[in-house]
Amino acid sequence: MSEQSRSDRATSAVLWLLAASFALFFLLPLAGLVQRGLSDSGTWDSITSGTARDALWLSLWTSTLTTALAVIFGTPAAYLLSRAHFPGQSLVEALIDLPIVLPPTVAGVALLAAFGRRGVLGEPLDELTGITFGFTTMAVVMAQFIVAAPFFVRAARAGFDSVDPQFEQVAHTLGASPRRAVLRVVVPLAWPSLAAGLVLCWARAMGELGATLIFAGNFQGRTQTMPLAIIEAFESSAGLAGAVALSLLLLAVALLALVAFRVAQRGGAYR
Amino acid sequence: MSLEFEATMTVGAFHYEAAFEARDEIVVLFGHSGAGKSLTLQAIAGLLRPQSGRIVIDGQPVVDTTRGIDLPPQRRHVGYVVQSLALFPHLTVAENVAFGMNGDRASRASRTARLLQALGLEGTGDRRPRTLSVGQQQRVALARALGREARLLLLDEPFSALDESLRTSLRSELLRLRAELGLSIVFVTHDLREAHLLADRLAVFDAGRVLQFGPREDVFRRPSSRRVAELTGVANIARGVVREADETSITVDVAGMALVCGAVPGLQAPSPGSAVDVTIRAERVNLRRFRGGGIPGTNTLEARIVEEYAYGSTHTLKFAPVGPGPALEVEIAARPYEVLGVAGQRDWLLELPPGDLHVMPAS
Repeated sequence: MSEQSRSDRATSAVLWLLAASFALFFLLPLAGLVQRGLSDSGTWDSITSGTARDALWLSLWTSTLTTALAVIFGTPAAYLLSRAHFPGQSLVEALIDLPIVLPPTVAGVALLAAFGRRGVLGEPLDELTGITFGFTTMAVVMAQFIVAAPFFVRAARAGFDSVDPQFEQVAHTLGASPRRAVLRVVVPLAWPSLAAGLVLCWARAMGELGATLIFAGNFQGRTQTMPLAIIEAFESSAGLAGAVALSLLLLAVALLALVAFRVAQRGGAYR
Repeated sequence: MSLEFEATMTVGAFHYEAAFEARDEIVVLFGHSGAGKSLTLQAIAGLLRPQSGRIVIDGQPVVDTTRGIDLPPQRRHVGYVVQSLALFPHLTVAENVAFGMNGDRASRASRTARLLQALGLEGTGDRRPRTLSVGQQQRVALARALGREARLLLLDEPFSALDESLRTSLRSELLRLRAELGLSIVFVTHDLREAHLLADRLAVFDAGRVLQFGPREDVFRRPSSRRVAELTGVANIARGVVREADETSITVDVAGMALVCGAVPGLQAPSPGSAVDVTIRAERVNLRRFRGGGIPGTNTLEARIVEEYAYGSTHTLKFAPVGPGPALEVEIAARPYEVLGVAGQRDWLLELPPGDLHVMPAS
């Protein structure tokens, strides 16, 4: 065996070893979770409890609503950031990226300061209309939106950047209105990035904890999403066992959703 | 189908000012890259707004800055094929071609089929553009631009990415299409041979300006300036002084030799004593056997081959004068090169036909 191929094999072995260790680091905690869940007799009861059902349902629909709102408001923002050039653009981009960098708790405090009952906007709004956001389901969506939507905007912007403006220009010369050019040409071409942003946003919303806890509070059936329910279970008398059960449930649902989305996307994307 | 174009714009340090027209013909915009040719197409298509100017397509002003007219690209009915083609990769060939069509599904389908057939693309309708050859993709882009029922076709170096044989066939196909559909075409190229083959009229661009606009033969044979002569590949440009001039001919002293040159009708003859440039294209010089004795006739000089290059179909010979007269570059086809026996004979007589000698003011 030559010197060269021996060193190639050594490199390859190191590569596999590192990759396997990486995968193991993720697999072991999951295995622990499953093992704990199976060995505990109360798991099934916890999973089928009213608390779990309420929290899961709330998590699913608020995350989906958040993602929908991110698409409606975020797509035009991402498109403009990609195509238009305006003064202060870097500042706007930094502001949108900020929630990605900051801990969600900061976002929660900021939301409370703005829209809370004593907030800058919240107080006059309460006095004028009687509408309050704090500790409502709307607050859950707002907390998720501020934390998760930037992930969609980032991905969508990268997607729009990757589409050569010449495609749009040619579409215009072919008689397409700006709206039709975007819908029929730009969006389909940017679709892989948009889809990735969609998943990222939804997943981030599902996992949102800090901002929700501070701005929306922890009320079962109203603002208690799965992450909050897990925290509460962990701190209750049920302890780790209750938290494990709810974690397993969230894990299963999230996995199912991500796989379903991948399958759907494979059918929809052009090749 | 017609186009009138005049526009000025300033993009950064680049100043652009151009005017030309097209009437049921192919107008070639010729020049180096960065001369403003593509800019011109973008302005016609409506992707770029000139600071001032007037663009009229088929009698309809699409841009008139004095009247505040500026139609968006989707209302100009101009077929624009960009250099990169920009075929929509997520649509099939048929969907690409039908993209700009109006009307119901059935009529669009039949028009698409007809266009695909006209361009030799039968059977490719359901495929993605990227699965086609580069030459086929070119045709799809052309078909898509035609699908709009364009009044005017703008082609930006459409054949530059193709190999020579494919270019040749696509060029002749374009000429056939033009004849069949009666299109006006504005064609951008930096390829001299392509420009010559396709142009009815030629606009020579340089640094954002049209140096000369006119029928192909005028531009090639009678460049308006030294720069145009250089850009259009005139190999022989010599400085001289006018000895005498009348309406039909101009006699110019060039390197100690009196050259009788044809005068452009209608153009004011230069006054005696003024400095001029005299041009003649390399392929217009006649080669004659040297038989010794005196030099017969006017515009004939004795010269010796000092360099030569074989291009296959043609030979380029560089001559140094033996007596008075300018150094000259001569292009001769392969067959006469062999028949005359140029390879074995270095000394020749060069005859410069007065009609091919063009005089212009010295730059």
